[in-house]
Amino acid sequence: MVELKFYGIGGQGMVTAGKILSEAVSLYEGKYAITVPSYGAERRGAPVNTSIILDDEPVLVNSFVYNPDIVLVSDPSIIDKGVDVSEGIHEDSILVLNTEDEKVLDAYKKYDFKEIYYVDATRIALDNIGKGIPNGSMLGALAATGIVKIDSVESAIKITFGEKAGEKNARAAREAYEQTKKM
Amino acid sequence: MQEQQEKLTNKPRRCRVLGPVAYEYTAANTGSWRLERPDVDFSACIKCGTCEKYCPTNVITIKKDQKKCVEIDFNYCKGCGICANECPKKCIKMVPERSEG
Amino acid sequence: MAYKMLDGNGAAVEAIKMAKVQVISAYPITPQSTIAEQLSDLVATGELKAQYVRVESEHTALSVATAAELTGVRAATATASQGLALMHEVAGMTSGCRVPIVMPVVNRGLAAPWTLWADHGDAMSERDTGWLQFYCQNVQEVFDLTVMAYRIAEDENVLTPAMVCMDGFFLSHSMQKIDIPDQEAIDEFIGPFVTKNSYLDPEDPMFVCNLTGPDDFTEMRYQQKVGFDNSIKVIEKVQKEFAQKFGRKLQIIEGYRTDDADVVLVALGSMCGTAKYVVNKLREQGKKVGLAKVTVFRPFPFRQLREVLGGKEVIGVFDRSAGLGGQGGPLWSETCAAIKDYNSDIRHYVGGLGGRDVSVRTIEKIYNELLEIKNGTRKEHTEWIDVKENAMDIRQVLKNA
Repeated sequence: MVELKFYGIGGQGMVTAGKILSEAVSLYEGKYAITVPSYGAERRGAPVNTSIILDDEPVLVNSFVYNPDIVLVSDPSIIDKGVDVSEGIHEDSILVLNTEDEKVLDAYKKYDFKEIYYVDATRIALDNIGKGIPNGSMLGALAATGIVKIDSVESAIKITFGEKAGEKNARAAREAYEQTKKM
Repeated sequence: MQEQQEKLTNKPRRCRVLGPVAYEYTAANTGSWRLERPDVDFSACIKCGTCEKYCPTNVITIKKDQKKCVEIDFNYCKGCGICANECPKKCIKMVPERSEG
Repeated sequence: MAYKMLDGNGAAVEAIKMAKVQVISAYPITPQSTIAEQLSDLVATGELKAQYVRVESEHTALSVATAAELTGVRAATATASQGLALMHEVAGMTSGCRVPIVMPVVNRGLAAPWTLWADHGDAMSERDTGWLQFYCQNVQEVFDLTVMAYRIAEDENVLTPAMVCMDGFFLSHSMQKIDIPDQEAIDEFIGPFVTKNSYLDPEDPMFVCNLTGPDDFTEMRYQQKVGFDNSIKVIEKVQKEFAQKFGRKLQIIEGYRTDDADVVLVALGSMCGTAKYVVNKLREQGKKVGLAKVTVFRPFPFRQLREVLGGKEVIGVFDRSAGLGGQGGPLWSETCAAIKDYNSDIRHYVGGLGGRDVSVRTIEKIYNELLEIKNGTRKEHTEWIDVKENAMDIRQVLKNA
C-alpha cells in the first residue's frame, strides 16, 4: 500500500490530478486506487489537498492519508499559507516539488524528506498547453519516482481531458518526466 | 365525473390496490351537502353576474336573454351563501333546503 | 463487463441510466450536485431518453418523480441533507402510495451548524418514513445496491421506495475502479418498469392519496409493514441472483471475521472499509476482533444481526449521527432491541460527524477500548470517540461589560 498526499492551490487541478493517477494505476497497471479529496469551502487561490491510496489489492481504507509515503506539492508557496507539507511524514517519505528555483529548494530541504524530485512544472505547462495549470506535468514528475509508469499517466490524461487537450497535457507530462531531477 | 364512474364500475376486472386510493366517487355529488339553497328574486336582479364570478364551485351561469337569468346547478351547489353575500342588489336569499323539499 | 473509474455520484448516475428511467426531476445540492448535473447532461445529449423536469425545490422534485412514476414510467431523483429534510413531507406520500422510487441519498449533516460534509443525520431523520435504506461501503456498492434497489423496491410484494445512502465526499467524490456490467445484462436483471399498484390514467381514473379516516388508516400502515416484512426475503433473493449473474456477493448483514471474534463493532457506510482494514491489522497482532457491517438499515435486519452477534460478550456500535436526546444513536437503539435477550455488554460510540474523518486511528481506539472492557481492565468507554477536549470552549466572543 502506497499513500500519497497532493498539495496545491485551488484552481491548479489537484483533485483532478489525484483522479488521473488513480485511473492510470487502476486501468493500465492492474492495481487498485482510491482518491479521497478533502473538499472545503474551496475557492481559487486557497490551499487544497487530496489523498490517494494505491495498492495491489482492492483498497479497504476510506479515509484521508495521515502518513504519506509520497508528498506532491504543485505550488511551493503553500508553505507560506500555513500548510505543513511534512505533516505525518516518515523517514522514507519522498517529496515531488514544482520548482527549479534554488532558494525554494533550500526552503524545502529543511523538511526531512528522504528524496526530493523537482521540476518547473508550471513552465512546462505554459510551454505545452499555454496555461499555467501544472497538474499534468506534475504527474509526469511523479512518474519519475517510479510509482507509476509515464505511459499509464499519458493514457489516463488522454481519456480524462479528451483528444485535443489530452494530447497537449500528455506531452507536458512526458516533458516533465524527462526533465525531473532528484536530490 | 359521473360518466367516468359509470364506465368504470361496468368493468368486470377487479384487482387489489395498496395504499390510499378512491375508485368509486360516492361523495362526488356535492349538492347533497347543502343545508340552505340560494333563492333569487328575479324582479330585483340586474343581471350583473357578480354571483357567477364569486361562486367558488362554478355552478352559476348567467343567461341574460332569459327572465330567470341566474341558473344554478343544484347537483353541485354546496349552499355556501357567498353569492347571497356578494349580490349588490341583495336579491339572493338563502332559504332552508328542507322547507323546499 | 468493463472496468471504469467512477466516483460514487458517477456510479449512481450509471445505475440510474442503465435502469432506463424516463422522467428525472432532481434539484442540485452539495454533495449530490454532480448526480443532477450528469443526469441532465445525459438527457441533453440524448444518451438517456428521458424527460428532465427542472424544479424549484426538493419538495417538488420528489412530488414530480412520484406522480410521474404513477403514470407508469420509472422515475428518478436524488438528494442530500437539507434537500432530504425538505422532501420529508413528500417522502411519506411516496411510500404510503407505494410508489417504488429508487433515490440516491448523499449523506451530509443537517444544519445548524451549516455543514457540507458526511454525516448520517439526514438519512436517519427519515428512517421511519417508510423507505427502504441501504448503506454503501464503497463506490462499487453504490452501483450494485442501486441496481438491486430497483428490483427490490418494485417487487409486487414490497412496493416500497428505497434510499441508497452513500457518505458525502468519502464516497460521492472518491474515484474508485468499479466493474460495470453490460446494458443487456442489466436489462435482463432489472427489466422494464411495470405498474403493479395504483396509477394515474385519464382513461381509467382513480383518486390516489385521498383522505383516509380512522377506519382504514391502520390497515394501510399495516400493508406497508407487510411490505417491509416481505422485503427481507426479496432482498436475499435479489442479492443471490445478483451474485450469480455478476459475481459480487452482498449481504444484508456482513459478518467480517466475526466467527471467533472476542469483540465486534457494528457500523454503517464507508467507515466499514476502514474498519475491515483495522480488523485485519489487529488480527495480525493476535487480537480477535470483527465487524458487523449493516448494509440494510430499513428494514432493520434483526434476525441476521442476532446471528452475527450471538455469543459476543462485548459489542460496540458506531453511529455517524448524534441521536440527540436518545439513550444512544439510531443504530445503537436498533442493535439493543435486536439482541435484548443477549447477555452482551453493548457500548455506544458517536463519531465522524459533519465530515470528521473516521480514521484508522479512531477505529483502532474503539477496538482497543472494547478489548480492554472484555479483559476487565477498563470500565468506562469514550462514547464521543473523536470529540475534542475543549468542546465546550471552542468559540469565545468579546462582550461589553
